[in-house]
Amino acid sequence: MDREQVIKALKDSGKWGHKYSLWAVYFCTGCGIIEIPPVITSRWDAERFGVIPVASPRQANLFLITGYVSVKTLRAIIRTYEQMGEPKYTVGFGSCPINGGMYWDSYNTIKKLDKYIPIDGWIAGCMPRPEAVFIAVTHLWTLIDKGMANAYKKYRKQYKYYRKNQEMALGKLEWPPLYPINEDE
Amino acid sequence: MNKKNLIKQLELTFSDNEVNTFEENVIKIYAKKEQVKTILRYLKDNGYNHLALISCVDWIKEKEFELIYILTSYNDNNETYKETGYIYLKTKISRDNPEIGTVINVFENAEPYEREIHELFGVKFSGHPRLIPLFLERDYEVPPFRKNFDTRKYVKDVFESIPVIPEEEE
Amino acid sequence: MVILYGLGSILIAFMVGILFAGISRKVKARIHWRYGPPLYQPLIDIVKLFHQESVSHGFIFDFGIFFSLTGAIVTLFFIPIGNIFPLYESGGLLVVLYLMLIAPFGIALSSVEAANPNASIGISRKFILALGYEIPFLLIILSVMTYYGTTSFVEIVEIQRESTWGIISMPITGIAFLLILPAMMGLKPFDLIGAPQEISSGPEVEYGGIYLAMSKIQHIFLIFIDIALFVSLFLGGGAEPLTFFLKMLPVFFIILIMSTIYPRFRIEQAFRFCVRWPTILAFLGLLLVVWR
Repeated sequence: MDREQVIKALKDSGKWGHKYSLWAVYFCTGCGIIEIPPVITSRWDAERFGVIPVASPRQANLFLITGYVSVKTLRAIIRTYEQMGEPKYTVGFGSCPINGGMYWDSYNTIKKLDKYIPIDGWIAGCMPRPEAVFIAVTHLWTLIDKGMANAYKKYRKQYKYYRKNQEMALGKLEWPPLYPINEDE
Repeated sequence: MNKKNLIKQLELTFSDNEVNTFEENVIKIYAKKEQVKTILRYLKDNGYNHLALISCVDWIKEKEFELIYILTSYNDNNETYKETGYIYLKTKISRDNPEIGTVINVFENAEPYEREIHELFGVKFSGHPRLIPLFLERDYEVPPFRKNFDTRKYVKDVFESIPVIPEEEE
Repeated sequence: MVILYGLGSILIAFMVGILFAGISRKVKARIHWRYGPPLYQPLIDIVKLFHQESVSHGFIFDFGIFFSLTGAIVTLFFIPIGNIFPLYESGGLLVVLYLMLIAPFGIALSSVEAANPNASIGISRKFILALGYEIPFLLIILSVMTYYGTTSFVEIVEIQRESTWGIISMPITGIAFLLILPAMMGLKPFDLIGAPQEISSGPEVEYGGIYLAMSKIQHIFLIFIDIALFVSLFLGGGAEPLTFFLKMLPVFFIILIMSTIYPRFRIEQAFRFCVRWPTILAFLGLLLVVWR
């Protein structure tokens, strides 16, 4: 670290911490999780970027949604996302969260994940290579630097619309709203 | 008993069914839907004690469903099994009012297979203890695996009608 | 003077602890044939955790983790680090013995309030393991006290400076202590209390931002305290903090390499191990000391 980076880290230590220590929830969402163990183990090492898998959503601040999202999985994803502490970053991994991917005309998968939880960035591919994960992590660093990785703030502001979309897709939800909804606005 | 004896026994006991052999490896039995349970119990007593799969085919032009029960054996020294391998038991039921009795009394592991066929094809199994959905979460007017289920229309009606989140006003 | 020594003690323990945590991640990575994170990565983790929001489950939840961190800091005041020894007039070996149990007790309090079954399983494993390693630990402390004839740390270090080191005069007891050190610190092969793959990180499953930071700092302090105890009793302490640190390094490296290579024990295997060989060795050491 040279002197410029040290001064930048001391001035805004929150951003420095959020950038270089992204802890990912190890929730194996879909078929794309088969590409994550090679990223974590010895050949393509993710720990030198500061990314380690943790077991509980309370300890994590990065959520990789890998693979396709069926209606049953969406329930678990929303509950996990709402348990994480702010600031939190989500990345859609693979083609299926982007627009449905291979299952674009299926009766049981949701097509665009952006309508249900906010997403910071997408990684295209079926499946993406491990190097694509590292490009995504470094791109997320530049977004955090500029202050543009604000998906969690969008969730807080537009929670009314997100909740309505979630109820349209899943039916009645068993958990209460995360932020209070004002019906008059 | 070996294959020839088994086929002869089956033809004698259940005289109004057809018994076929196919590709040197499989025995196919075509049965009526009321006799399925007795044939399964007979085969289970003769060594075929593993129900591998229950599957369903939608013949839309003849307006019938065809249920297929696949049986094998757990014992390695079953002579017939060493010669033949699998036994397929096929029945046909009507498409407009599909109903058949459950086979849980004979094979207990038929419970999730029958639940799956109920939720995907709409076949009712009378006597099943819990006929609730296994994988699906929503209600469908036409069960999804039938051939008159239009997937693209369903996707357009249900999933694409959900609006995109609007950008916030500054 | 006490306050100055106290603050210096906490600062040294924190810096050395972060260095040890960073070295352990880097060495583990190199043994796995990969590059690891930079050496100051635990510092980045703790800074990030202080800026993260977390959820509290009630008063006992907050109180438990504060209690545990405070217990670790108070235990630190009773252990000499070179010639920095804040509370040398009072205390001694027996005080350290019962103060070391405050930290897991605090975590147990907050696990109860968390109401997560994973946390309950983790903390029950911790207490069974504590029962296992306390048996040889008490025998070791008894032999040390009988040999030196005192419970005060200052006199033990002085006696070792005049004659030989503790590990040369009581070799069997030293080896027994070295065998149960990973169990006391919670490193592999005894890291079953916070296993991410089996029980979702055990007691730490409900900890978020600042609670997780305090839990990690408390874990770092406990590692420092255990190695410092070994160095003071068996390796002669140190005249100033630098020699103390240089004596801590080989002990730390032996335990680190053991912890990278071996897999994890189950709870009954860990308990059986702690009650078998280290207890026999500690008992033999006690017999030898008494007969002399």
